[in-house]
Amino acid sequence: MSEMISHLTLGFGVALTLQNLALAFVGCLVGTLIGVLPGVGPIATIAMLLPITFGLDPVGALIMLAGIYYGAQYGGSTTAILVNIPGEATSVVTTLDGHQMAKQGRAGVALGTAALGSFFAGCVATVVIAALGAPLTRLALLFGPAEYFSLMVMGLCFAVVLARGSILKAFCMIMLGLLLSTVGTDLETGQERMTFGFPPLSDGIDFAVLAMGVFGFAEVLRNLENPETRDVVKAKIGRLLPDWNDIKQSINPVLRGTGIGAILGILPGNGAVLGPFASYTIEKKIAKDPSRFGRGAIEGVAGPESANNAGAQTAFIPLLTLGIPPNAVMALMVGAMTIHGIIPGPQVMTKNPELFWGMIASMWIGNLMLLVINLPLVGLWVKLLQVPYRLMFPAILIFCCIGIYSVNNQPVDVAFTALFGLFGYILIKLGFEPAPMLLGFVLGKLMEEKLRQALIISRGSFMTFVERPISAGLLVVSVIVLTIALMPAMSKKRDEVFTE
Amino acid sequence: MKKLMLGLAASLALAFTGGAQAQGTYPTKPITMIVPFAAGGPTDIIARIVSEHMSKTLGQQIVVENVAGAGGTTGIARALTSTPDGYTIAMGHLGTFSAAPATYPGLKYDPINGMQAIGLAGGTPILIVARKNLEPKDLKEFVAYVKANPDKLNEAHAGVGSVSWTTCTLLKGQLGVPKLNAVAYRGTGPALNDLVSGQIDFMCDQIVSVAEQVKGDNIKAYAIASAERSPALPNVPTTKEAGLPDYQIEAWNGIAAPKGTPKEAVDKLVDALDKALKDETVKKRLLDLGTVMPSAEERTPAGFAALIKRDADKLSPTLAAAPK
Amino acid sequence: MSLNRIERAQSLRIRSQQDLAAGLFIIALGALAIFLSWDLPMGSLRQIGAGMLPKAIATICIGLGALLALSALRYNGEKLSGWSWRGVIFVLGGAVLFGLTIRGFDFGPIKVPQLGLIVSGPLVVLVSGLAAEDKKWKELIIFAIVMTLFCALLFKYALSLPIPLAPWLLGI
Repeated sequence: MSEMISHLTLGFGVALTLQNLALAFVGCLVGTLIGVLPGVGPIATIAMLLPITFGLDPVGALIMLAGIYYGAQYGGSTTAILVNIPGEATSVVTTLDGHQMAKQGRAGVALGTAALGSFFAGCVATVVIAALGAPLTRLALLFGPAEYFSLMVMGLCFAVVLARGSILKAFCMIMLGLLLSTVGTDLETGQERMTFGFPPLSDGIDFAVLAMGVFGFAEVLRNLENPETRDVVKAKIGRLLPDWNDIKQSINPVLRGTGIGAILGILPGNGAVLGPFASYTIEKKIAKDPSRFGRGAIEGVAGPESANNAGAQTAFIPLLTLGIPPNAVMALMVGAMTIHGIIPGPQVMTKNPELFWGMIASMWIGNLMLLVINLPLVGLWVKLLQVPYRLMFPAILIFCCIGIYSVNNQPVDVAFTALFGLFGYILIKLGFEPAPMLLGFVLGKLMEEKLRQALIISRGSFMTFVERPISAGLLVVSVIVLTIALMPAMSKKRDEVFTE
Repeated sequence: MKKLMLGLAASLALAFTGGAQAQGTYPTKPITMIVPFAAGGPTDIIARIVSEHMSKTLGQQIVVENVAGAGGTTGIARALTSTPDGYTIAMGHLGTFSAAPATYPGLKYDPINGMQAIGLAGGTPILIVARKNLEPKDLKEFVAYVKANPDKLNEAHAGVGSVSWTTCTLLKGQLGVPKLNAVAYRGTGPALNDLVSGQIDFMCDQIVSVAEQVKGDNIKAYAIASAERSPALPNVPTTKEAGLPDYQIEAWNGIAAPKGTPKEAVDKLVDALDKALKDETVKKRLLDLGTVMPSAEERTPAGFAALIKRDADKLSPTLAAAPK
Repeated sequence: MSLNRIERAQSLRIRSQQDLAAGLFIIALGALAIFLSWDLPMGSLRQIGAGMLPKAIATICIGLGALLALSALRYNGEKLSGWSWRGVIFVLGGAVLFGLTIRGFDFGPIKVPQLGLIVSGPLVVLVSGLAAEDKKWKELIIFAIVMTLFCALLFKYALSLPIPLAPWLLGI
């Protein structure tokens, strides 16, 4: 304990210098401002802003980058709430209830709840990293391909619960997501799959392209067809910040979300993606009145947003203690560290203690900055919603186009997004929810990869999934989740439940 | 905002006057360097370190543009099919220049005959690494073990076409076990994770990715596939010392331009690259990454082209025959 | 395609147009996937081939689609209505135009020069803006110019992203 305090003292000593505080502030601010543009998710934001950190000293650069990361993460949630466009997989869930709240004039409350929940989760995650970072690393190493496969199966079962309408349609969407995830060059054999022989498809479908299409563009199309409801905020704008009642409602979801997100975030291979989904599933299942979900339930923002931020932060554990990046954002951080001459590895903690602990301290400071920057900005974001829709959607469109183009500097990605916009519009018209499809898509790639890895290693034996205790445990949870989700469907009150 | 407006006005003015200037003063506008991989990867890092200094020599900004896709071939294809005026160049590597013709049958460029090589920016040694409790103690034992138990071992790689896949396929070809179980991962990070946790047995990868894990005793390194030991890991023997002299391969990164680029531009780029590599700061940053500095010969277009050809000849037979 | 089927299906007095169309849509996508992955090897459990998962998932899709279509005959549901083709054409068309013009495009006989953000930006705002029924020309044109300038300053200068501005005019 005293060791941890001395470490944190060292860390805060580094992070609290005027220069580093300023860098954390600038990072958070710029990250938020860029991340909030529709079409620009955290990965794109960090990739864009990476070069501006090159001129700084390593500690300063990393502090600023971490700030950009949190800022972008939070900015992504802001877009999800305001205009229903998720910048990345983890903010898909936020669109479900966050945007509904915005439509009811409660955008400020949703944004405030997200900021406060994220701050709390960030504080907890910082302490977790400082105290348990090293021992928790072992958890990451317990997960082999078989365990990941079972984890992904569990994630897909969560997706069923996400559904607002028909469970059958939700299943369809998950499968469609899985199917889309198999497009592109096969990782194991290098064969092209379902690419129509079209080179831009050989790397598969980009998440940003799919999400921007089925959420962003399709949402614009849906709004255009009924002029009465399209102005996001037609009614009066309510309070800007959550009041005591909102906070009371959010406390438990935030606590649960933080715990779930923190644990899943440690797992390499993008376990953090599951955090918000798991949190949403749990909140919806334990709520007294689950029908509120999808219609602006504050728990549906508070829980997932906390899970999101906790996971975003504990995802640093495998990077800092092992030197192995668990996801694309962390891989970018590795790149940034390497450019500054620090090659992440198991020895960073002992060899560069001021860097290691400085960064951990700056995480907390970054979260504080985020709160300081974002609470006043809530008013501005909410005002933006009052821009007439006839101007709002062309603006969304040009940002989306530039954002998508910038991800890979590929113009054809923009055309693909338009195509997926049409696809998403058809799905809406046919009464499908795109959220389960996106989850299926994100998990699909990992699931196939892990399934095949596990079977190669086990030489073709499916028993590997049940013989390994963690994997078996996860599969049992999946069965339970699925049974709970399907149970009401089997009872007589079918229609009530199916059209929640 | 005011500053930005001023900047815009100034650059507009510059662009107009710049365009009007006579030929023979290359470069008159920013140069695009296409990096065919995502920002933050090993090639991107080398490109950014080198291009920063090259910009100073050339007096014009080199803008790094990441065009990822299809194992790097999308970006290289875009660079090599652009107007050959010296304003679009590319930073490619072993995979995109030497291995790609054998790996990607429908490749849209020809790195041997249809490209103007500029020079090598740096070589990255390849290591053969294994989980720390794998039986064989050194490379000789490992080779014997692989040959005796080809069905027991699992190799990890970062996807068909990646450096780890390319170099390990060469190794398996040389050892006569081309069909050894290969487990594909999406990137080096996850593969390394499963190697550290002991789920898989061995892999070949660039020193920059694995050095810290070797130093931290999370994995063990059998050998380094270069002519000399690396200062980053002085205890790891070379393949020559350890008894597998034929396995010599480096994951180098180098600059190329479209065929037909004017000689003046090529000369200036070669000179700028050479100056960058002679700069102490650049050198130190590259050495920190475990990079081997290219020889004077390899910094020239002819030397770099020869290297591309040599490695292509070495890799093509094994890669073309590799089970994909 | 699906519209024809729906018209035919109407005479069968199905109870949910939407679900029937949805089911058929999923079946069609599954069939397309099976067709596209026909040549890919299935492999064995020990070494799963490239075709195993796409084919398996597509088969499940077809099954689920069939269930959905059948359920449309049993349960009451919503009708298909209110397609906004105006939005589809202008909004998606605007985005496609952006993709075509930003760096130029060369596809068979169609050749578009590299026009850059200075052209693509106003194009996407103007064309997509046409989709709004309450558009005001003057406002839209000013907005298009302002947004393009803002984006050029933000992305090209403040963030120095490699976006072509106007290679034909400015050389960058």
